[in-house]
Amino acid sequence: MKPFFLTTALIALFFASCEKHGDRVKVEETRRNTVKDSDPKMFATSNERFLDAKPSPIQGTHPETWLVRPARQFRLLNYSFGEAGLGEIYVSISSGRVLENVNRWLIQFGKDELNQEGFESMERIPIVGVEGVWIEADGEYGAGMGAEAKPGYGLAGVVAEVDGKILTVKMVGPKNEVAAEKERLRAFVGSLRMTGASTEY
Amino acid sequence: METEPSLYTPKARKSFLGKSYDFMAGFHLATVLLLVLLLLTWLATLEQIDQGLHYTLNKYFSWKSPYIIPTINGKIVPVLLPGGYYICALLLVNMILGGVVRIRKTPRQIGNLISHFGIIFMLIAGGVAHHFEIRGNMAIGEGEMSDVAEDYTEYVIEVAEVINGERETFHVIRGEFLSDLKKGKNRTFDFEGIPFSLVIGGYSKNVVPVSIGDRAPKKGELVTDGFYLFENEPEKEAERNIAGAYGKYVLENGEISDPIIITAASFHPHTIKVGERLFTVDMRKRLWPMPFQVKLDKFTADFHPGTSRPAEFISDIRRLENGQESTVRIEMNEPMRYEGLTFFQASYGPEGAKPGEKMFSIFEIVRNPADKWPEYSLYTVAVGMLITFLTKLFGHLSAAARKRNQHG
Repeated sequence: MKPFFLTTALIALFFASCEKHGDRVKVEETRRNTVKDSDPKMFATSNERFLDAKPSPIQGTHPETWLVRPARQFRLLNYSFGEAGLGEIYVSISSGRVLENVNRWLIQFGKDELNQEGFESMERIPIVGVEGVWIEADGEYGAGMGAEAKPGYGLAGVVAEVDGKILTVKMVGPKNEVAAEKERLRAFVGSLRMTGASTEY
Repeated sequence: METEPSLYTPKARKSFLGKSYDFMAGFHLATVLLLVLLLLTWLATLEQIDQGLHYTLNKYFSWKSPYIIPTINGKIVPVLLPGGYYICALLLVNMILGGVVRIRKTPRQIGNLISHFGIIFMLIAGGVAHHFEIRGNMAIGEGEMSDVAEDYTEYVIEVAEVINGERETFHVIRGEFLSDLKKGKNRTFDFEGIPFSLVIGGYSKNVVPVSIGDRAPKKGELVTDGFYLFENEPEKEAERNIAGAYGKYVLENGEISDPIIITAASFHPHTIKVGERLFTVDMRKRLWPMPFQVKLDKFTADFHPGTSRPAEFISDIRRLENGQESTVRIEMNEPMRYEGLTFFQASYGPEGAKPGEKMFSIFEIVRNPADKWPEYSLYTVAVGMLITFLTKLFGHLSAAARKRNQHG
């Protein structure tokens, strides 16, 4: 019966080792400085800590139902929406050509690339004083970077060329939630204006 | 698994312990455990579609999950199932007792015995990986250098003293001490050489700091300096969560600060001044310093025609250590193994990058003491099965030859 006693003792020892943390803890773990630890900005205010302090090259009026998320690289304006906050809307400025960007979005939804003729027939809407291409798609959304594909997703957005750069407004999220937000997205696109600040993040 | 009569001779009346031993070492238990494991794997595969991989793996196979109630398509399945970790632990005990201790030790059973050792080794490898494996990722652009990996999901709070504008040592409050500090529960943290304690509470795994000017708090959130933490639903992909908490610092003279927000969503740390000394308090994903530096010389990505799906991506790196340089190529399925660390070519960025666009490479870095054990265990099982089959084959051929001789 030795194996039985041994097993029982091991299981008892295992459960005895599960302890909860107390109300006061002495922190023992430390780490050294790394390349990720740039010089900190000291005495940053809450505005500086939690809001993007850099002037955005683009501004707009967003619906109250959208939640403002911190801006970051490639997302000059950044919002989330929807019941579970899965929907995303972001405004970016990049390079390339309009058709290339349209096709990249379509490919992310498993759609065929457009040729010039198909591209010409797409709906145009005004954005920051130019005509932008309105694009919609739905299906399985694969954002790339090895991210897991998301079935049942929808896309709505605009791609436009502004002063030699590509301005994009992209909304992705669960298909029905994107459908419900389309009109608000159009209104948001209409409200966008360039501020003159640098477009380099 | 042993199926033939064993050397263990049953007595007329067995004790409870004897019956327990028979049960724990039995073939029936092994069969049931394997079927339950199959069921758990199937349910976890279905559930991870809605809940994400990290959450589902923890729910089904963590040691912290003694039982499971599956949720499929958002609906609770009213079945109570045992956790996968404990099923594997029971299977390990069953294998040791039935497949090694109780098995008949004859030359004919050598193959079976070796195979059982292989399976036991594999189960132990799983347990070691579960408890001791560390995973992180490192993103580097071409021409850039890094010496640190970042955890995928664990948020920590770091306190560091700033001396001449530099922070040399960071005191790290690990995520396990934070994640249970929901609203109404606080914990005080003391640090060696730091003249204050930090009281942390109100931890949420996914938050956005919101200005009351943008949106007024609706759930009675604590507002400090015009901001509060708006709690979002946890992300399906757990690595996308952005954690946050509230804190206060208590000086050695008992003075207590106003509440501060400590969140990974902040652009800059919070500064604390005590006398002439300066400290930063920040929340971030846990950093894991590497014992060497990695410089990315070239990143190559080939895509399937007309898609943004990569056919292959390759990183040519230089590993820098103690003034020595080594050139290494890391590609899909060809990781770099060095000093107990494994660098896998995991991904690339930026998100939605087009072919030809400047990108950065992302490595997954794993420290797993049992890294190669599953491979060795498979070899062991294969050798054991080969011996078993050959033993059976020769036995059959010998029997056939004897039969022919008898008839001849």
